[in-house]
Amino acid sequence: MSELPAESSDAKEALASGAATIQDPTGLHARPAVKLTKLAKAHDATIEIRAGEEGKWVNAKSPNAVMKLKAGSGEILFVRAQGAQADEAVKALVALIERDFEAE
Amino acid sequence: MSDFVGIVIVSHSPNVAKGTADMVREMVGDEVKVAYCGGNADGGLGTDVAAIHGAIDSVFGAQGVAVLVDLGGAETNSEMAIEMMDEERQKAIVICNAPIVEGAVMAATEAAGGGSLDEVRATAEEFLS
Amino acid sequence: MEPETIKALIRRTHEVILAHAEELTDLDQAIGDGDHGINMKRGFDAIAAAADAIAELPCGKALEKAGMTLVMSVGGASGPLYGSLLMAMGKAMPEAPDSVGDIAKAFQAGVEAVMKRGKSEGGEKTMLEVLLPVATSLKDAGALDIGVLRKTADAGLASTKDMKATKGRASFLGERSIGHLDPGARSSALLIHAVCDVIEGK
Repeated sequence: MSELPAESSDAKEALASGAATIQDPTGLHARPAVKLTKLAKAHDATIEIRAGEEGKWVNAKSPNAVMKLKAGSGEILFVRAQGAQADEAVKALVALIERDFEAE
Repeated sequence: MSDFVGIVIVSHSPNVAKGTADMVREMVGDEVKVAYCGGNADGGLGTDVAAIHGAIDSVFGAQGVAVLVDLGGAETNSEMAIEMMDEERQKAIVICNAPIVEGAVMAATEAAGGGSLDEVRATAEEFLS
Repeated sequence: MEPETIKALIRRTHEVILAHAEELTDLDQAIGDGDHGINMKRGFDAIAAAADAIAELPCGKALEKAGMTLVMSVGGASGPLYGSLLMAMGKAMPEAPDSVGDIAKAFQAGVEAVMKRGKSEGGEKTMLEVLLPVATSLKDAGALDIGVLRKTADAGLASTKDMKATKGRASFLGERSIGHLDPGARSSALLIHAVCDVIEGK
């Protein structure tokens, strides 16, 4: 993916990004938003998400910000991360979205 | 599990208090301790200082406790209950200025992520901003 | 203070609250959540049940215990408010109060605790409309004048009728709270009259 944090060019830390489509017919509603936030918080990385190409990047660890995305069904959620666990974080979040927020 | 900030839900209605706690557990999980109380000693609408005191005590840990309240008396009674705690403990208990249900879910989510008491309160209070 | 006096105070305040519980509830139904009568009744029932134990204590401790009993039993905002009043009065009361000045000082401390607990300075259609002028009247009085105390409490209560509530549940009503007496001010006035009754030996 080409979406990298703007300040990434001089950053030495690992960068990662990914994307997945929201499957739930009601979109990214409260419960999945909480799951996503919790999973993001479990990783040592700065993690941001946005809904669609034009969406604004928001902190994936902020439950308020994630809920306010109001991402709808079929929308693509983009994930980008920077930090020690950036790779793991993006993989885990993309996997969560892809399995429709079900438990593993 | 005193590693997480504990959450206390104080409503005038026992059903609202329990329902809010259920919602938090279902949405956020079991790792964060959640206690709730609602209703007066006769089972009617109201809040009970002794019950609030007990609820805070039951979830108190190293990270402190965030309290979510509904209307007027719930806040007054919660303040009273907090003042009845040891002075050391009082510093680690906050009442969040947030809607009770949404605030509880937000606070618990932040707590489950290992957030500090200040972060938990900020996340709960951010909901309306 | 004699245990018998403390018992008489408990008995009289309890009687008055019981006799007016319905009126307090009616007032509260107009502008609050309608539980003031039942809450006050529960609180003063609990004090009456503990009357023997309370009456054995020195005056200050007796007030503190009565206040704590209210806090633990009322189940509405009035519990911590009246509880704070009595507990702060108790703390400020000398072991053997022997002047109006002692009582005035203790009452002032109690009213300040209510202001702090209720986050109000007065003028907001609350029990403070009765308590504040009574505190001032006590402070300014050289000698205890029961008639003046009663009148001060009644005038304070009456003043709540035309006030707009900006504190508590009644504040949700805004303008519509105008025209109703405040139930907390009514219970405060009732309790002051009850104490006056005991002092007058009724």
